[in-house]
Amino acid sequence: MRFNIKQVNCGSERIGSLTGFIKSSKTIIETPTAALLTQGCSVVHLTAEVLAKVFPDTQLLWLPLSNSVQLENGVKAQGEGVAKFAGLPKHVICATLYNINEIVPPGHFELGKLPLWTKNGKKMITADKYMDLMETFKPDIILAASDGRISLNEKPKRIVKSVERTMALLDSCINKYKASEELQQSSLVGVIVAANIPHKCEECIRHILKYKETLVGVALAGLTDGSKESYEVSLDKLKEIFSRVGGSLPNDLLRIVEGSWNPAVIVTAIEHGWDVFDGSYPIKLTNKGHALSLNFDVYRYSGDPCIMDLNDIRYNEDFKPILEGCECLTCKKHTRAYIRHLLNTREMLASVLLSIHNLHHFNEFFVQARLHISASTFNIYKKHIITQYENINPKLDNEEDKTAPTLVQDKKKIKVRIGDNVKTEVNGTIIK
Amino acid sequence: MKTTSAALRFNISTECKITKARSAVMKLPHYDVKTPVFMPVGTQGTMKGLLPEQLENLDCEIILGNTYHLGNRPGTDVLEKAGGLHKFMGWNRALLTDSGGFQMVSLLQLAEITEEGVKFKSPYDGSETMLTPERSIEIQNSIGADIIMQLDDVVQTTNQNYERNKEASERTSRWLDRCLKAHKRPTEQSIFPIVQGLLNNTLREQSAKEHMTKDVNGFAIGGLSGGEAKDDFWPMVSLSTGILDKNKPRYLMGVGVAIDLVVCVALGVDMFDCVFPTRTARFGCALVNKGQLSLKQKKYETDLNPIDKDCTCSTCLNYTRAYLHSIVTVETVSCHLLSVHNIAYQMRLMRTMRENIENGTFPAFVQQFVNEVYPNGQYPTWVVNSLSSVGINLCHL
Repeated sequence: MRFNIKQVNCGSERIGSLTGFIKSSKTIIETPTAALLTQGCSVVHLTAEVLAKVFPDTQLLWLPLSNSVQLENGVKAQGEGVAKFAGLPKHVICATLYNINEIVPPGHFELGKLPLWTKNGKKMITADKYMDLMETFKPDIILAASDGRISLNEKPKRIVKSVERTMALLDSCINKYKASEELQQSSLVGVIVAANIPHKCEECIRHILKYKETLVGVALAGLTDGSKESYEVSLDKLKEIFSRVGGSLPNDLLRIVEGSWNPAVIVTAIEHGWDVFDGSYPIKLTNKGHALSLNFDVYRYSGDPCIMDLNDIRYNEDFKPILEGCECLTCKKHTRAYIRHLLNTREMLASVLLSIHNLHHFNEFFVQARLHISASTFNIYKKHIITQYENINPKLDNEEDKTAPTLVQDKKKIKVRIGDNVKTEVNGTIIK
Repeated sequence: MKTTSAALRFNISTECKITKARSAVMKLPHYDVKTPVFMPVGTQGTMKGLLPEQLENLDCEIILGNTYHLGNRPGTDVLEKAGGLHKFMGWNRALLTDSGGFQMVSLLQLAEITEEGVKFKSPYDGSETMLTPERSIEIQNSIGADIIMQLDDVVQTTNQNYERNKEASERTSRWLDRCLKAHKRPTEQSIFPIVQGLLNNTLREQSAKEHMTKDVNGFAIGGLSGGEAKDDFWPMVSLSTGILDKNKPRYLMGVGVAIDLVVCVALGVDMFDCVFPTRTARFGCALVNKGQLSLKQKKYETDLNPIDKDCTCSTCLNYTRAYLHSIVTVETVSCHLLSVHNIAYQMRLMRTMRENIENGTFPAFVQQFVNEVYPNGQYPTWVVNSLSSVGINLCHL
């Protein structure tokens, strides 16, 4: 895969393109953009059939190994990579270790090994094993194994340790990568940690840049461990990080940011030249029954909140679409009242309809961002988006996702017998 | 022949020359439904994670909603303001609602049945509500389905108490009169009476004959598929279809397993509903002619075949058994994928039966289907007996 920059503005926000994918040679993915988060390599809540209705074109999919490692034997048997195996052959995969939305226990490292929390409990994996899996999965982009799942609030000692581990893991990943022609079909990305401790972060970056010729880009991790507290960082603080870290990187590297950051944070990152985001934010909203309703008209902002909680009884008889004028499948056909009913009765279609809207709208947010960069009006757009987040109840933005799997080893299927109906709980959605 | 109501016209296109099977078009206000038909159950105004347009792609022409659930949530106020369930859920084809009476059996500890109706304790908030025949129809009028059910006095099928069975069966007929009288939208919705009498020949015959005297557009056969022996089940179906007007649709409630569908179509049934295909999907099971595949089993881990190579559903076109194995019962997507396949399976079976009835090859199809389900030739007695009662004498090939 190749990353080319088409335009860089004075604010250092930029437009680029990803091309030359393994299976989709004609595909062009424009940046800034977000990937679509997958679980078990399916876009969360959406089958291939529904995904094609929402996005007819090739999409960048974010593949956490923690919820897809169980595909290994099947993918190996088929031999054509994980995207094809998961029924999404034309889509492009960016693979990494974890789903940032999953809450997992801290620690559990062993020498040279990382804990991977899966539905079947903890699996210890080495960088070599990680790269072996990548050889089987054949993703277009591989984020090097790292110890990046830590919050900015962590103690310095822990952060220093994460730099050591991350650098050692990168060395191992690079060795495996260079030794395998098969792996070299994929593009490798180095992971930056310790953003909060400038000199350690620089050390990490210097280490990555030693392999600059081998790497297509960098990913900024270590900003969040997925917990609610770790997202409670001021925008100014994040801005300083995006600016400082972005500024110390060569321009031609692709820059990825991990974490469920809201659009106010994302426009701030984009302003400092960050290109790709992991797509976990819209899923987090969907799982809470929330709909994203950003206003994109920079000249006409009504003051309406940019997140709607559709669990709210106030939508009981509200037969308007989530967002008037929205062109998504959900808004063209379904009402707030219907979605509120589906949430109230814990029906699976609620998540499907909300996902369709949230993914469409989140994508639209990036389309608009690129248009404004092209027109050199990004600064106005950025302020417009940030204002909307300043005006909402912060609880709406960073409320805990109650359906997010916590302590993954306990997340075995729970069966509850109620009357004659056996209910099975899958990912927090009761399935009756 | 007097099925000329605006709410339902039933035009039989072909009758099987040997069995009692027939194919027809049932013209309903929202859609022309081809019968024999299987109606998937969408209890709360949604089909387990599928979009209405996916159901249309699957060839679903009519689906079922549950009055008891919908009356509670979202409630009739919301449904009326939305302009009925069709509009509320974005489904433009036909709908059928049950009466809410079946929940009496499943929630019996919460219910007390009197001549007036059924007194429920709401499992949601503990408040007491009375479901009378009038109230059931009132709710169903608000929901606005094309076909609605009378409230019947439901007894567990395996109940041996003759007095209780008799009381329930006769009360069902009295409640039918009250339902018909309370019906406010007869030009848009058809009430189907429900033939009761459980497994008692005399009571069932009386019930069917009593219902035949009413001005209705179709009939339901109830009180079956509740855990009774198959040898007790099929004669009741046959008895009912033998009495009910040939020119009106007959709906057998709660039946949806493939072999039962094939036998009961041969016995002259036109409509079926069952939660089985979508429920079994949620437990990771995919329907095939030989029964079902439990995709959780380790043996599917590297099985690169689709669930069924002859199936053209979007699941079988895109996904292997191995992939389904790796996400089944873990990801919600697996429920959607298996629901799509299982509904497609039911739809294909019904379409195949209709085509065979129309081509005059239905008996041969039945023979071939039975052989596929029981490849060793060990046919269950009830299958042999029921089919022989309509002129198909099975022979192992």
